[in-house]
Amino acid sequence: MREVNTKEVFPKNSNKTYGLMELVKGTKPTVGLQPDDMVFTWPHLLIRELVLFVVVAGLLLVAAFLFDAPLEEVANPNHPPNPAKAPWYFLGLQELVSYSAFAGGVLIPTLIVVALILIPFIDRKRIGVGVWFAKQRAFANGLFFTFLLVMLVLIIIGTFFRGPNWDFVVPWE
Amino acid sequence: MPITAEMRETARGKMHAESFSSRFKVFWKNVYRSLFRYGRMPRDAEGQSYAVFNNLFLHIHPVKVSKHSLKFTYTLGLGVIATILFLILTFTGIWLMFYYFPSATEAYNRMLDLRSSVDFGFVLRNVHKWAAEAMVAVVILHMARVFFTGAYKPPREFNWIVGVILLLLTLMLSFTGYLLPWDQLAFWAITVGTSIASYAPVLGEPLRKFLLGGDTVGQEALVRFYVLHVVILPGLMSIFIAIHFWRIRKDSGLSHPNENGSSARGGAT
Repeated sequence: MREVNTKEVFPKNSNKTYGLMELVKGTKPTVGLQPDDMVFTWPHLLIRELVLFVVVAGLLLVAAFLFDAPLEEVANPNHPPNPAKAPWYFLGLQELVSYSAFAGGVLIPTLIVVALILIPFIDRKRIGVGVWFAKQRAFANGLFFTFLLVMLVLIIIGTFFRGPNWDFVVPWE
Repeated sequence: MPITAEMRETARGKMHAESFSSRFKVFWKNVYRSLFRYGRMPRDAEGQSYAVFNNLFLHIHPVKVSKHSLKFTYTLGLGVIATILFLILTFTGIWLMFYYFPSATEAYNRMLDLRSSVDFGFVLRNVHKWAAEAMVAVVILHMARVFFTGAYKPPREFNWIVGVILLLLTLMLSFTGYLLPWDQLAFWAITVGTSIASYAPVLGEPLRKFLLGGDTVGQEALVRFYVLHVVILPGLMSIFIAIHFWRIRKDSGLSHPNENGSSARGGAT
């Protein structure tokens, strides 16, 4: 076998700290195609994670010393409290259940989960990615914001505005 | 060159000449280097790469990340906070298991013990409780962040679904943990919560009986909720968190404005 070309096209220049590494075949320049905004995980990401950990752990400790987790009387199946309430994140559903057991307990939660799973297959256009509240996504964002707001309002009603027999009460009276 | 008796003697003599402290330093350095091959505080690119790459606990991360994904105003750190809360909950949860007993007659007494006789038992329980409440809120906020930044779009459809599964697992973990103190709050919240399930046609009533191990909330329900809460659900959670993180990297890191208009194609980082 015979070597075709042993002479380097771009010979090393010992006066320079840089050199040509390799040649790549292509149809367009790759310069500027993807701006290199990458930084090293160590230390840039790790220091942020560490700071968040310290802040979260610190806040939890402060909360733990200031506020006691609730503990009522021992469970008694013969003395139901009135009203008996589910954990706060289910109080929106419990509020709906008070109107219709099937709709609030089954239909709406099922629809919510199915809709959440289908979202990325319905809305596939890659516009408005990577920015908060992109103008092009105003409709989708508005829809989702409304959904969150309705759930929040239902939870607030269930938590603060429902008294004995699930009657409407005003919390400050 | 053959090793002569004289050379051996010289080598031994040298060792004797060295002080104990310097020999301990060498020993310690050998032990340290067997654990961490690339120094304590890497300062050059190679060292920084290896520091992440060669550490089991750090190699979940890619070696490099985009500046955009580090902006606090973009992610609000919600995914990382949710993970931190899960780790704190696992730690305090296992600690609580040393004091807890899933018995309808004993469980409540253990709660009183945590308040009175266990050193810092109230802190332990309070941290677990508030971290759990925070995790539900943070996971929901994380989902809202992902939606409002359009981060569920291709190629991240599957990771969004994994996220929905993680949200459901978080709710189930919180719900099963709610029963364990066995006080009035716990008992009746679970009675109400599980009765909602029974409204489902056909499957509802069998599902409720399967969860409770009977018609009402009792000893059987407590054991079932306990096993779900300390083994099954955290196990599933860990697996899906691993998939969630893995997919972030397979989907080219966090969502980025540069992706707009380009064809959806994931790539390993």
